[in-house]
Amino acid sequence: MNKPNTASEFTDTTSPLHFLTVTEASRLIGSRQLSPVALIEAFLARITAVDETLRSYITVTAERALAGARRAEREIAAGRWKGPLHGIPFAVKDNYYTKDILTTAGSRLMLDHVPTTTSTAVARLEQAGAILLGKLNTWEYGTGNGGVYHDLPFPVARNPWDLARFTGGSSTGAGASVAAGTAMFALGSDTGGSIRLPAAACGLQGFKATFGRVSRAHCLPNCWTLDHTGPLTWTVEDNAIVMQAIAGYDADDPSSADVPVPDYRKALHAGVKGLVIGFVRDLGSEGAALDAANARALEQAALLLEQQGAIIREVRLPAPLTHYRNVTKVINWAESFSIHEKDFLERSALMGQALREKMMSGFTTRAADYLAATRLRRTLIASTDAVVRSCDALLIAGAFHVAPRFEDEETISPFTADTATTVFNVTGHPALSICTGYDDTGLPLNAQIVGRFFDEPMVLRVAQAYESATRWRERRPML
Amino acid sequence: SNVQSTSEAEVRLYAERCGLKDLPQEQFARLAELTQTVRETGLALPRMEE
Repeated sequence: MNKPNTASEFTDTTSPLHFLTVTEASRLIGSRQLSPVALIEAFLARITAVDETLRSYITVTAERALAGARRAEREIAAGRWKGPLHGIPFAVKDNYYTKDILTTAGSRLMLDHVPTTTSTAVARLEQAGAILLGKLNTWEYGTGNGGVYHDLPFPVARNPWDLARFTGGSSTGAGASVAAGTAMFALGSDTGGSIRLPAAACGLQGFKATFGRVSRAHCLPNCWTLDHTGPLTWTVEDNAIVMQAIAGYDADDPSSADVPVPDYRKALHAGVKGLVIGFVRDLGSEGAALDAANARALEQAALLLEQQGAIIREVRLPAPLTHYRNVTKVINWAESFSIHEKDFLERSALMGQALREKMMSGFTTRAADYLAATRLRRTLIASTDAVVRSCDALLIAGAFHVAPRFEDEETISPFTADTATTVFNVTGHPALSICTGYDDTGLPLNAQIVGRFFDEPMVLRVAQAYESATRWRERRPML
Repeated sequence: SNVQSTSEAEVRLYAERCGLKDLPQEQFARLAELTQTVRETGLALPRMEE
């Protein structure tokens, strides 16, 4: 392995308000050096300045956000500081229901949809004092067939690192917004990688926690047994702060797990000395290979963790990636069609090509094949869990490629298809996509840190050790 | 592929029986293609009664 390039050539920059991290901003707000009103105004100005091109938002709730900021300022001045999210601006993918706020899920079928309920995750963030800036761009219904056809009612979100490139999907606006500084953090949803792939393409830390750890209640479902909700943030510590607010049992989500929520920051900086990190270097020879730059960055991440005192042990997944991918496809087709059958049968002409073709696939999926997938899934969960439990955490590739150019249409679908993200939707293990640097053209690289069921603190701890040993967080896209 | 191909006519008949109302006519050929792909994917899944 080569010596890691820790980006020492990067220069320190003084952050404008829209590039503050949650950790930095909450420290300033808590010590009354920063007004929540000034912070929200800075983000609204940033949205005005760049989002006409970036298209991270579908709906901006400016007046509501300013009212929330003024309320937060009064509360903090009165000594009622709620904690690290008080006064912090965030945005959510437009498949999270928000009471009295247009929620389109990026679809012509929902252009007048104003929910009467708010998703549990958003409600918990607002209870913690966070301030919603608006609703973020997304693939239609938060799903699709992997293609981008520019046929939806809203223009596609663009990658802040190169506006000619894809953000990764399906949480397209979530990836674009956090990287570009139009939101301090975002919530996305993930059925096969839809949090982690935008995080990978946009240079973020995107967390799909253990299945059942974060409520999906009052979000537009895509696939009941594979759907997860979770945060995209600039830093690992920001992710821990957001997770602290949104994790935990919710009776409104039938799949929610009644498992105590630990302190996600308690051991965040404990380092990796003595930890056993399983390194999945070899993903098998089926399908596309990892890009050279991502492969190099993955090797360097393993070396860096070893230099921090971790014990690196090479491990393999118990089955070919094709098995996980096909299980995901068949289950996703069938369950998604069950959810949206009425829309497809009655209004498919209003759907974009990506959603319509996915519905077509679900329309013809056989029950026997769905059950074959769920039976195989059970063995994949058990055998993969045995590998995960043999270590403290795993290091494994995420997206195999860097963000593709929109004009290179044949590279868009492979960005979504050629990944190791679906593995952990099938098994339910917590998986965090981390930025592992940049390629020669400045595009973000990525890997995943994976943990045992409900061991999010270990995933965050390993990721923090890596992040602290590198300087990738000092580089921001220039817009 | 060892999966028997699905004709557009078969797909139209199935769609009609399911009550599919407004799929654009030009999409039925694509639906037949996807039916084939879906069946191949499903049948490729390794089979496991307990």
